[in-house]
Amino acid sequence: MTDQNDNWEPKIIAFLCNWCSYAGADLAGVSRFQYPPNIRIVRVPCSGRVSENMIMSTLKSGADGILVSGCHPGDCHYISGNYFARRRFALLSNLLDFVGIEPGRVNFSWVSASEGEQFASVVQSVTEKVRALGPASRLVKKLDAAQAA
Amino acid sequence: MKVLKITPAELDALMQQWQKQYVVFVPASGKSAAVSPDCAPGWKRMEAGSAPLFLPVGPTPASVKAFYFPQPETLLTYTLDNNHPDKALMRESLKPEAMQVVVGVRPCDAGSVALNNLPYSEDPHFQANRRRTALVGFTCDTMLSTCFCRQMGGSPMAQEGLDLALSRTEDSFLVTVVNEKGASLLAGLDLTVAGEAELSALAVRRQEMAASDSAQLATLKAAELGRLYDAPQWQALGDSCINCGACTFICPTCYCFDIQDEVVWGQGRRIRYWDSCMFPLYSLHTSGHNPRGKKVQRTRNRFLHKLKYFPDRFGPFSCVGCGRCVQDCPVNIDIREVMNDLTNDLTNLTALE
Amino acid sequence: MTTVNEKIGEEIRVQARKMLAEGAVVAVIGYGVGSLPMTARPMVARRPEDCDKLIWSSFCVLNLANYLPEVLKSVEPPHGPRDPKPPEDSLPRVAVLATGCWSRNIVVQIQEHQVARTRVVVMGVGSRGMVSRRKVESLFPGKEILRVEEGDHDLVIHGADFTETINRWSVVRDNCQTCTHPDPVLVDVRIGDPVSERKNPKPFKQVEEIERLSVDDRWAWFTTEFSTCIRCYACRNACPLCYCPTCFVDDDKPQWVGKSLDTVDTGLFHLLRAYHCAGRCTDCGTCETVCPMGINMRMLTKKLNKDVLNLYGLEAGMQPDAPLPLTTYTLDDPQKFIVTEAPSAKEGE
Repeated sequence: MTDQNDNWEPKIIAFLCNWCSYAGADLAGVSRFQYPPNIRIVRVPCSGRVSENMIMSTLKSGADGILVSGCHPGDCHYISGNYFARRRFALLSNLLDFVGIEPGRVNFSWVSASEGEQFASVVQSVTEKVRALGPASRLVKKLDAAQAA
Repeated sequence: MKVLKITPAELDALMQQWQKQYVVFVPASGKSAAVSPDCAPGWKRMEAGSAPLFLPVGPTPASVKAFYFPQPETLLTYTLDNNHPDKALMRESLKPEAMQVVVGVRPCDAGSVALNNLPYSEDPHFQANRRRTALVGFTCDTMLSTCFCRQMGGSPMAQEGLDLALSRTEDSFLVTVVNEKGASLLAGLDLTVAGEAELSALAVRRQEMAASDSAQLATLKAAELGRLYDAPQWQALGDSCINCGACTFICPTCYCFDIQDEVVWGQGRRIRYWDSCMFPLYSLHTSGHNPRGKKVQRTRNRFLHKLKYFPDRFGPFSCVGCGRCVQDCPVNIDIREVMNDLTNDLTNLTALE
Repeated sequence: MTTVNEKIGEEIRVQARKMLAEGAVVAVIGYGVGSLPMTARPMVARRPEDCDKLIWSSFCVLNLANYLPEVLKSVEPPHGPRDPKPPEDSLPRVAVLATGCWSRNIVVQIQEHQVARTRVVVMGVGSRGMVSRRKVESLFPGKEILRVEEGDHDLVIHGADFTETINRWSVVRDNCQTCTHPDPVLVDVRIGDPVSERKNPKPFKQVEEIERLSVDDRWAWFTTEFSTCIRCYACRNACPLCYCPTCFVDDDKPQWVGKSLDTVDTGLFHLLRAYHCAGRCTDCGTCETVCPMGINMRMLTKKLNKDVLNLYGLEAGMQPDAPLPLTTYTLDDPQKFIVTEAPSAKEGE
């Protein structure tokens, strides 16, 4: 698996809201801003849609890093989705820190549809942070060698 | 049966020797319990040079059922790798063969293995675990107020189900070699045979602590408990019960399981893990109908299974009287009270007729 | 001499009997005598004569709000899933005993529309702190406690060969010792005298001790603390906040949390369970008390309570007509955790 590999590359799952951050990622691509190819994008309707269950099971499945990104506060397509998300993410990131998940594994950001350059730099920064942390092991589910086929 | 003498120091040395040959488990004290690799919460692997055995009064914190019926047990493994020739082919998982020795078992738990063996008599996983597990038990000097093994037809001095049974004397232990497996654990060891006086003292204690008069059991067994299916006491129990699985999980004789698949990075396994009749999901049908949809029905089922359905099918009651559920029930539901109430109700019913 | 708790018990019996006899309520959720020392059994009195069994003691550790939604449902006249629900004020009412934290949980249940305010009669009891059976037992290792007499400030512990008097407050549960609102916030029938708010300098002391550890030590604490979990879900089922028809652990498509006992599965279960209580938990301590393995899972919810208070200045269940902390927001909520890269985006905070 990836973590035994010397050429390890972090695998980062990005939950991007359809209206801002996903469009921001699109703009980054169209504008040819370079950013690391380590992210795998999951498009969600709103950052308010991203539940703790999704974040935790992404960690469980072995993602080295997570990025959740939505519209800037005030810009939500659904008026207030990201305000609710902000409260939930604040508590979740504190709780994860409290139980010893390395700060930097789970990241949250606001990127609007016009911020292609900022999207690239957020991805750059998140990737560097996760790379510095190394492969994820905490809360990553592994089957014993004996149990795996 | 051969009865030998062993001093505490000799016992420690013997356990160190077992530890080199086998996987040895002892009751865990405090939070140090190793869990994940062994799937036996409340027990820990003995390590070389570890402290002498910690043995609480009364039953050990966790029952021995986890050694026969691990939480969870891998049944099958498979790969979902597209490039693998055996993609999605279910294979029986490799079972560990190494002998495991569980030291510190109480007679009540030892008795539970035979009970669980009844429904699992044809289960290859349970049987494989049974073959590779040896139980080294200690008879009880003192009983807790929650212990009711004698009421359930057991005894704190019982040896049934153990391979080696140790009983404390003033300065040492008398080891009863119950069977071949027990004898093999003592192979190559030169122990003195217990003297006449000690043997008769042991016999006396066994006599004193024999199962008590089981009039209650006889009443419960002879009667048609189904007549009390709608007794008002179930409503009171259902009112108190919060339907958690604590009683069933710490119970040595609860053996229900559920099966689920887990896939991690394309590698899958099918596991069997403990389930509890207290959970609504336990009896939920695919259609959405739940024959035991109410709390009172689930609570009643737990007791009637132990006291009626199991005995109807297999003979003995599915309870060894270890008292763990009495101790640890969050809402203090007490199976002894339930049995007393049922017996009283039955007596009243008979008196009416 | 009658103790405070005995007086409260008598008052409970009188009031409960009166309400049931008058038909003001059809059921009273309270506590009966337990079969072991230091236990009390939650019970539902449905007839006036049942009320003789009601008691009050320092061992009423389970949050009775947990029973409320189910008992309310059980006394409704039967109606099919498609039948229109009868109007709330025509349905029978239920009385429930409530201390500070329990009453706050009832408030949360009202806020979350699990319980109709008009159908509940809250019998408010000021809490003097409930005693942890585990703490008492740990004072007498290897000995069995056969009987406990309760005084106002002492407990007399009797074993087979010993009798000892211990200070009551020293064995009160951690959450009760650090409780700031022991008196019910919602009272319809007052039982006993109100107790004053405790001046508590350090309600989050235990959480702060863990916060001071390094990341690796916190991870070590977390994995050790939760390693003994047997997944019996007593913590979940005893919690008055957990009423989902299908819990996330029972979902299998997708399977959020595995069913085995490895640290990842038990850890995820406890993290998500605690997180689902964020902004709703009143620190009643029931989860911790009922755990057969003695896991200190309350630290997770306490941490969340601390953050909710520090970040949003809110405590769960203090006002029935206010929204819950996570169902509302302000425009300038703190957002220090947000990754911002472009200098122009350094706003908020």
